[in-house]
Amino acid sequence: MFYLSRIEHKLRVPPDLHDRPIEEAIKGELQKLFVDKVIANLGLCISVYDIRSITGGFIFPSEGSATYTVVFTLIMFRPFVGEIIAAKLKESNVNGLRLSVGFFDDIYVPVHLLPDPCHHVPDSARRDSVIWIWEIMEGENFIDWEDEIRFQVHSITYPPIPVEPPKDSKPFSPMVITGSINSDGLGPLTWWNEAELEVTEEP
Amino acid sequence: MRTDGGSGPSRGYLSGSWASILGLEANAGPLTNFEVLNFLKSKGASKDPTRVLADLAPSEYKVYDYLVGTAASNQTREKIDEFLEKCKKFDLAKAEVLNILNIRPSSVVETYSIIEFCDQRLGDGVEELMQIVEEVFPAPSTEPVNEETINEAAETNEN
Repeated sequence: MFYLSRIEHKLRVPPDLHDRPIEEAIKGELQKLFVDKVIANLGLCISVYDIRSITGGFIFPSEGSATYTVVFTLIMFRPFVGEIIAAKLKESNVNGLRLSVGFFDDIYVPVHLLPDPCHHVPDSARRDSVIWIWEIMEGENFIDWEDEIRFQVHSITYPPIPVEPPKDSKPFSPMVITGSINSDGLGPLTWWNEAELEVTEEP
Repeated sequence: MRTDGGSGPSRGYLSGSWASILGLEANAGPLTNFEVLNFLKSKGASKDPTRVLADLAPSEYKVYDYLVGTAASNQTREKIDEFLEKCKKFDLAKAEVLNILNIRPSSVVETYSIIEFCDQRLGDGVEELMQIVEEVFPAPSTEPVNEETINEAAETNEN
């Protein structure tokens, strides 16, 4: 789920920070620049882990900022394909599910990756929402709002920024995870706790 | 050079071409949930409801909140080493071990989704693996005890 990524970057430190200890000033600037940002193909930056080296400090003509070459390590959120992650339900509509892990919520489970066979009924408590139901022999299993939901990472995409975002479109998401819950052990945790109980009762 | 993508309060975005200049080593090693949680605690994250004392970004607190709710909050470095040692014989891939540590499966069916071709590779060994997980990382028995250990861990990190 999390990785360290080592990065080299030419960082400008504005003059108002020049009276602070250099490492502290640079760490602050790195945090402002990277934390909670998505870097394409590297993932979502969680934290600045450490600073490996700071060199330079050149002030270019007509500039007040000092430019340092900094090598540092970031903690990135970048799940691998096939990884199992625990999440919570955020949206549920006819197009599938949207899941959230609290700090990241661009996780989608499209209809074809839902457990098969399944159908949906309108959610009386929420407008435009539906409840998905997995049909298995014993009866119906609901995907509801309280349970922890496990999904398997199907793919991760980093869509390019739209040049002209269409009006009324939802906010642009720079990193989208497509998840699958169509396999044994996936989906709401309660499904499998119950299954386990039934198995132990059999003999 | 930094662009805030699209409309609305979406996440900031660093464009692809820029990132390719930056990357020295995209993958300098994976971290377990436990290690990330430990790192955030060492930065001062705690269950303190005011959240003003620590020098943490709001997004970092969100990560902390998520991780505290996972199995990582009951793990220690020693327990993880013990588990790594004990599950060597199953010849699992690194990613699979990492995933087991993060999810802490409590039933066989949960393990099936984590380990590829679990049936062929482990056979009945999966039961033994479950036992090891249960042994090394026992399920939290009561909530209050759980809370105390978290606070203790946070305190030792602060010192």
